[in-house]
Amino acid sequence: MTIADKGRADTVVDFDVALIERARKGDSRAFERLYRDHVGRVHGLCLRMTRNPDQAADCAQDAFIKAWKALPKFEARSSFSTWLHRIAVNTVLEKRRGPSNAEIAVEDPTEYEEPVLSFDTPVEEEELEAAIQSLPQGARDVLVLCGVYGYEHSEASSMLGIAVGTCKAQLHRARGLLRDRLERGVR
Amino acid sequence: MNMRRVNRIDQLAQNVPPARDLWPAISSAIAADIESAVNSAPRRARWMPAVGMAAAVALVTLGVFIGRISTPTPDTMAGLTPAQGETSIMPAALRDANYRKQRDALLVEVDSRLKAMPAADREKVAASLATLRRSIGEIQAELGRDPANALLQELLVSSCQEEMRALTAVRDSGSQEI
Repeated sequence: MTIADKGRADTVVDFDVALIERARKGDSRAFERLYRDHVGRVHGLCLRMTRNPDQAADCAQDAFIKAWKALPKFEARSSFSTWLHRIAVNTVLEKRRGPSNAEIAVEDPTEYEEPVLSFDTPVEEEELEAAIQSLPQGARDVLVLCGVYGYEHSEASSMLGIAVGTCKAQLHRARGLLRDRLERGVR
Repeated sequence: MNMRRVNRIDQLAQNVPPARDLWPAISSAIAADIESAVNSAPRRARWMPAVGMAAAVALVTLGVFIGRISTPTPDTMAGLTPAQGETSIMPAALRDANYRKQRDALLVEVDSRLKAMPAADREKVAASLATLRRSIGEIQAELGRDPANALLQELLVSSCQEEMRALTAVRDSGSQEI
């Protein structure tokens, strides 16, 4: 990140803080600004986790309503974006109403530390999205959070309610499955 | 058709806007939330005076009930005055020797005045003094249970002052009704 990027990021964060403060006081227009700024990322996360556009929209909508109601509890320890994502993940998990993210055996989780996945040769976005959608739920959730949205295993495991070791193992599993489905090297 | 190619999975677009604008539904839910919050606040405000009044009525009722069951019988109440009652719970002003001396002297004068009154007038004056002394007795009884109650102490002092004014009026006006 360049200094300029850093400056822009700080400005966005400060802008969020000001909007959050106004929204906390009941200013729905400030909350609308927050919605406009964050809905794309929240919806993208929901869409990749649910694989269903209607369900993803419902989840994103519910997540913002829950966020409005929970605004007084929001603490600036985490970014607003992360907090929103946590609410969105919870919403998706609640709507699934079934067993998810089953624990899988992990022999040595330390071997699965690297959350970034790269490919030997470029992949078309649609092909990659389709491959992600074909993954089992547990592996897909972790891949979306860690691979696409860049969360650490500790953050993703906390959002999903699973052990860090399970999170690492699921990512390792996702990597292997992607390699098979894309028929190319995945690191 | 999106033909964009990526080398890393984190190059996938994180922003994927929904096909429809979700804000109208969110806005409606927020408006309902605000409205329910606004409505619940006045409801509480409307309840509070009613609850307060109910509590006050209950306290008064309880006070009257306690007063009634603890009121001395007419026999034991006769002569129950600040000078003769439980002095340990008396406010300092009523334990003052000068006050007690003045009151004793006034009682003697009033007693002689009463004897000189026509029977009908004497009964009226005696009834008025009895009412006043009954009130003083009830306050003293409550003070016995709650000696530190400043309000009761103040009430007792003012009632005793009232008694002194009544006694003085009887002494000075003879048969004049008080």
